Amino acid sequence: MNMIRLGAVTKREVQRFLRIPVQTMISPWISATLYILVFGVIIGERIDFLESIDYIDFVFPGILMMQLIFGAYGQSAFSLFFHRWTKTITEMLASPLSYTEIVLGYIIGATTRAIVVSAGVYAIAVLFTDATFANVPLFFFYILVVAILFALIGLLIGLWAEKMEQLNMLQTFIITPLIYVGGVFNSIDMLPEKIHWLVKLNPIFYMVDGIRYSMIGYSESNLLYGAIGLGAACLILFVIVIHLFKIGWKLRS
Amino acid sequence: MYALEIKNLTKQYKDKTAVDNLSLTVKRGEFFGLLGQNGAGKSTTIHCTTGVAKITEGNITVMGHDVQAEYQQARDAVGLSPQDFNVDIFAKIEHSLDYVGGYFGMPKEKRKERINELFKLLGLEEFRGKAFQELSGGYKRRYMLARALMHNPDVLILDEPSAGIDVEQRLALWEYLRTLHGQGKTIILTSHYLEEVEKLCDRVAVIHKGKLIADMTKAEFTQNGNTLEETYLKLTKEAKV
Repeated sequence: MNMIRLGAVTKREVQRFLRIPVQTMISPWISATLYILVFGVIIGERIDFLESIDYIDFVFPGILMMQLIFGAYGQSAFSLFFHRWTKTITEMLASPLSYTEIVLGYIIGATTRAIVVSAGVYAIAVLFTDATFANVPLFFFYILVVAILFALIGLLIGLWAEKMEQLNMLQTFIITPLIYVGGVFNSIDMLPEKIHWLVKLNPIFYMVDGIRYSMIGYSESNLLYGAIGLGAACLILFVIVIHLFKIGWKLRS
Repeated sequence: MYALEIKNLTKQYKDKTAVDNLSLTVKRGEFFGLLGQNGAGKSTTIHCTTGVAKITEGNITVMGHDVQAEYQQARDAVGLSPQDFNVDIFAKIEHSLDYVGGYFGMPKEKRKERINELFKLLGLEEFRGKAFQELSGGYKRRYMLARALMHNPDVLILDEPSAGIDVEQRLALWEYLRTLHGQGKTIILTSHYLEEVEKLCDRVAVIHKGKLIADMTKAEFTQNGNTLEETYLKLTKEAKV
């Protein structure tokens, strides 16, 4: 691993999202502010939820997670697709960059954007909630692992997609619905018992629940299974993405 | 050791053989012209050499390094200026060159120094803060050349470097290429301007439908008072028959 080469890919990725701040940072901050205001403050004040937890404190970790996911996915998927579409990817393919350096550069860039967006969302939340931390190391574990996971999913989609709209398709038809039914806005206990198993099949549920536990100490899932599952998913996807870069799938003719 | 050695290269796309059992050598320090009609296989050969395309059969070495087994060393030895503008058009050209230098493992100070040197040499100084899309056609070509030269490679591959630029800029480009050649760089040039090839190259090869149909010195090409263009047209006509 050559740190100069890895640094160059990372720098390019970071400068790319800093170049378009309205799309990459300001837009998710506005979106998060609206979620916090509408679901947390306006509606939340009228919801008699859990005895010891305010509704806004319950939903905020999920809102944070949602922007983290969109930030990481959006960066890696759109960036890689853009590089394929404009053939800028050949700059990297014709250089001595190793496939691991290329993939890691994309991942670090996407994770950086996701963290910058999340930090902004957290700063906004401080105005409306306590935004506490129950377990700081666990909080950073979830932030990092989820960002890496969606950066990898973004790379897979960025490789596969032939049209720009295919990048949005996954976000619109799969990620967003899974987030909405993944316990961001409701406790699993608010749902009929016969569909609890369905919620537990949703990977987003474990991410939201994990980060919620790290912030307010409230959990509805087995955190250990969730954390192991997320870590394993990251590893498997990393191996797959490296392999696809190595064989040049949709990259080299 | 050859600068470039291609042995029995075949490149097959789904239903088309783009390069068919091609063997070719380019000596170190040579100014080599690669000619052929559109779709003859020139760019595909270049893509296989630089790692942009996969090799179906055969092997290629650059400065003695196999482009597949020792791809990092082989790519380190080559600078490519492709036919298409495969550049992030929104990024400042100074930043884009900095990334490319980084891809080749150049430390920060060395990158900065090299960018200043290239911008000065190629007259890009006043555009360093501009995005690629803001440059005119001629300056875009200059940037492509700067990018290929960023890591100071031994072998320079130029695929249609003067396409779309005016006469004055073309003459300036030729002058600069001659200087680079004088400094010992191996230059491989593809061009549809046969005058350009005739003026610059020591040796010329012609590809037709993926096969090598000629590989001669410029003197052999222009013997009997023929121009390079006349010999080239004769060869491709014979190949068609």
